[in-house]
Amino acid sequence: MSRKTKGYLLNTAVIAVALLIFFFYRNSMMEANNKNFRLSVIPSVWQCCYLIILSASLNLVLGFMGQLSIAQCGFMAIGAYTSALLSLAFERAGFYTDKSGFNFTVVLILSFLNAGLLSALVGLVVGIPALRLKGDYLAIITLGFGMIIVNLINNLPFAGQNGLEQGSASSSLYENGLGFSSKQQVAWVFLAILITLFAVTIMFMFIRSKYGRAIRAIRDDEIAAEACGINVSHYKVLTFVYSAFFAGIAGALFSCCNGSLSTGTFTFANNSILNSTFLVVMVVLGGMGSLTGSIVAAVLMFLLNRFIKEGEWLSSAPQFVQTIFGYPMLVYSIILVIVIVFRPKGIFGHNEFSLINLPADLKRIFSKKKGKEAGV
Amino acid sequence: MKRMIALLLALIMMCGIAGAFAEDTVKIGIIVPFTGTMSLYGECMFKGATMAVDEINANGGLLGKQVELIKYDNQNDETESRNGFNWLIKQDVELIIGPLSSGTTKAIVDMANDEEVVLLTCTATNDALDEEDNFVFRCCYKDSFQGTIGAAFCYLNGYKKVGAIYCAADTYSKGLYDSFAAGCEKYGIEIVETASTASFDSMDVTNQFTAMIEKGAELVYTPYYYNTIGPLVVPQARSAGYTGVILGADGFDGVPDYVVPGADLDIYNNVYWNNHFDPNADSEIVRSFVSRYQALYNNETPNALSVLPYDAVYMFATAINNAGAADAESVREAMSDTSAVYELVTGTFTLNEDGSPNKGATMFEFYHDTENDRVDFRAISVINELPEVK
Amino acid sequence: MTIFLSTLMVGLRLGSIYALIALGYTMVYGIIRMINFAHGDFIMVGGYTLVFTMPVMTEKLGLPAWTGVVFAIIVCAIVGVLVELLAYRPVRKKGTGMSALITAIAMSLILENLAQAIPAIGPNPKIPQVIFPASSLTLAGITIDTTTIYTIVVAGAMMVLLTLLVKKTSFGRAMRAVSENKKAAVLMGVSVDRTILLTFAIGASLAAVAALMYIAQYPLVFTTIGSSLGLKAFVAAVLGGIGSLPGAMLGGLIIGMAESFTVSYISSAMADTFVYLILIIVLLIRPVGILGKNVREKV
Repeated sequence: MSRKTKGYLLNTAVIAVALLIFFFYRNSMMEANNKNFRLSVIPSVWQCCYLIILSASLNLVLGFMGQLSIAQCGFMAIGAYTSALLSLAFERAGFYTDKSGFNFTVVLILSFLNAGLLSALVGLVVGIPALRLKGDYLAIITLGFGMIIVNLINNLPFAGQNGLEQGSASSSLYENGLGFSSKQQVAWVFLAILITLFAVTIMFMFIRSKYGRAIRAIRDDEIAAEACGINVSHYKVLTFVYSAFFAGIAGALFSCCNGSLSTGTFTFANNSILNSTFLVVMVVLGGMGSLTGSIVAAVLMFLLNRFIKEGEWLSSAPQFVQTIFGYPMLVYSIILVIVIVFRPKGIFGHNEFSLINLPADLKRIFSKKKGKEAGV
Repeated sequence: MKRMIALLLALIMMCGIAGAFAEDTVKIGIIVPFTGTMSLYGECMFKGATMAVDEINANGGLLGKQVELIKYDNQNDETESRNGFNWLIKQDVELIIGPLSSGTTKAIVDMANDEEVVLLTCTATNDALDEEDNFVFRCCYKDSFQGTIGAAFCYLNGYKKVGAIYCAADTYSKGLYDSFAAGCEKYGIEIVETASTASFDSMDVTNQFTAMIEKGAELVYTPYYYNTIGPLVVPQARSAGYTGVILGADGFDGVPDYVVPGADLDIYNNVYWNNHFDPNADSEIVRSFVSRYQALYNNETPNALSVLPYDAVYMFATAINNAGAADAESVREAMSDTSAVYELVTGTFTLNEDGSPNKGATMFEFYHDTENDRVDFRAISVINELPEVK
Repeated sequence: MTIFLSTLMVGLRLGSIYALIALGYTMVYGIIRMINFAHGDFIMVGGYTLVFTMPVMTEKLGLPAWTGVVFAIIVCAIVGVLVELLAYRPVRKKGTGMSALITAIAMSLILENLAQAIPAIGPNPKIPQVIFPASSLTLAGITIDTTTIYTIVVAGAMMVLLTLLVKKTSFGRAMRAVSENKKAAVLMGVSVDRTILLTFAIGASLAAVAALMYIAQYPLVFTTIGSSLGLKAFVAAVLGGIGSLPGAMLGGLIIGMAESFTVSYISSAMADTFVYLILIIVLLIRPVGILGKNVREKV
């Protein structure tokens, strides 16, 4: 058995065990009707799930391909609105009445698939022209596309305040066919977890394939990559579409978490956690070019966000600290600058966390530290 | 795998944070934005609610218990509203004063019904918050009423050709426009031109007003907020040559503080709007409220955003006293009683079956107070019921 | 016809302001090849400084309100220099173009949120006083606000001054040298760091002037004033060809006109979409912008 196969087997086994533990944990909590589990653990799992998919998908473009795209939230908006409207249409048509059973599962699958596919399609339309540019220009053009997407959704004739009914432009889609209540979130939590696992696995396979090697070559030296016979624009667009697809899926998960959507959530500079900047913070913090890094960073940033918002430690902190932490975005952007200045490669750098390498990695880190202490 | 470990860590942390308190106070949660672009409104609302809670506590509390107000900053965001809602329920809060905007309110309406917690919104005017929601009440009127009042105003004052400018990206603005347009149809008023702005960041409405003049609109309905109306919309409309009526809604509350110092103040004449209450009203309850509020907060004149949460707290108080208990189910029962009368600053009213109050609106106009050289407002009429079409 | 003329005037008004802001973007980009996302927020800094200093100027000193711009220029220049020293320089020394770009976005957010956290500013928008008394001028049947004319004149003058600075002075030569080739510039005795620092100070001062002209037209100052404004101005700079001073002017006017004419003739709700669409189309046809110079990429 090769080391690679061993690694895969080990990973699968650990994930399966973890899932199993979580399954029993959930059931026991459900039986005990634990309030804390329903009101904070499960919503946290859901929110972590879409943040993980989002930051990992952004990392494909930002970290692995080396192109700063700020349209990610726009793609997420497409996914969220598509799935919400589609499921609402089915509900209005009487295809399902309550959020369980076979019919609803079909609708769920359809909504998620369509959310991803439509985002990917828009990603293709945006990507083909946009990726002819790079660096600053690409950033600004994707920013422009993000704005256009939001502006267009605002003016969609069928995304009015009552969902499909109010046939006029509006900022908010009030009814959301997918919006799960807390109890439904508990019931469907494995949907979120499995979709996230699936998405992350596919992204891993992508970056380990020849495509992944090609886009890393593009990141490191575009001209050299082209000279080696890599079709640069083809690979760029492909990655972009891939990333858009998963952003769309994340959007669909997001719409499951919310009873209503409004485009304000997806704009470039709002104050919510979903801000495109917040995503960039996650990717940079985790390490540009490390999927596991993005995953860890997404969870860390999520916990930090909750910690700032709910922490009672804040009221005992000095006034100055309270003022700063009263503006979470300020904290995140300061973190971003500090990370970029002092550790530009983030937590993981280009490396991936892997179980099979863990002993070796630990040994290396440990010996490094020892070396430092000895003054070497 | 790292993810799973992190998740487990998350679980452990979350378990640590939660903790129930002893049940000796009545807890009222308030979810409003304290940071972000809407924080101004959140602060006003919190001021009103705090004042009411302090007064109740000074008078011995409710059913002998002190009232505790617990705030959560939702940044005017849907996800944060839901997180805040969950956080409050974990602390055994059963009465919540709802988020600022209709969108964020809608995000937690289903959860309130599901968790059986009373949600009382004082600013979400949108109609989509409907009557099926057992545990959801409001103490402000709906957009459909507010927008129709605009149309009724046109009807009563004989305006036949009107125009409208609204912000396509804002729920409040768009919702009001929709109901205004429906009202105009009902009263047989012709909307000659409709224009919009893509967002609140669009600072220039000159072109829109030029189009209004071209089409001969006698009145233009502009459902925007005071901070754009005062410095931007009205001056630009007048300098584009539009001299007709500008009509708005409760978002105009506060315009006098947002006029440009040194500008010609006559331009604010002929601007009309409706609001939830009249701070100059000749009634004991309003006078005493205004003087107490000003004594507490630096002589600030209270606006609708601070009065409504104040009233919301007292609505809870009335319901708790009527029910003789402070749990969600009893309060809901008490508030569902359509005969219960609430005597509050914004008027004396009952709740209808939808959980919305039956109250009228006061129409105001701005005028140039030449003596003090400032813009002031005065009530011109009270519309309690929509007029019938003759 | 009235609609056409009014649209034209609004286009000029918006365009001249975008042009003024775009000049600042172009200056900084021209020398360090980095989008200074925080430039829009320098406008916010300038705006608040003006709000606080103008009453002092008129009431205490009896000077015209616009003289407050002197303080705005000083404060903005200081903030610009601080941003360069604290964030951009360390990142530029260490990282890649991408990390510089990300830092710029972060700085923009820091400035916006920091402003809100300062008690004197807070989340409430502020209203500045009247800066130029309202009056208008009729030229060949077209009525134009005097403020619009001032803005165009100021933008034009700034463009000429900057061009002179870049082309005729020794500092300008140093700037061009740094922009051309940093290592060679060092060999020629140019202090790269100092040149970049000064460029930032000048760019930020330009933002202060832009803030003055902007709030003279649209008297409302709030903490996120710079985000959408800065973005549109940046679009203007890219459109005209970033790095080119006349290009910024041209780009600004085009974007202003595009916005205004879209509102009047196509769809008022979709104005933003059309503005960005123009950017996208121009970038696709001519990636360096209308007046930009083509630079071949070398291996």
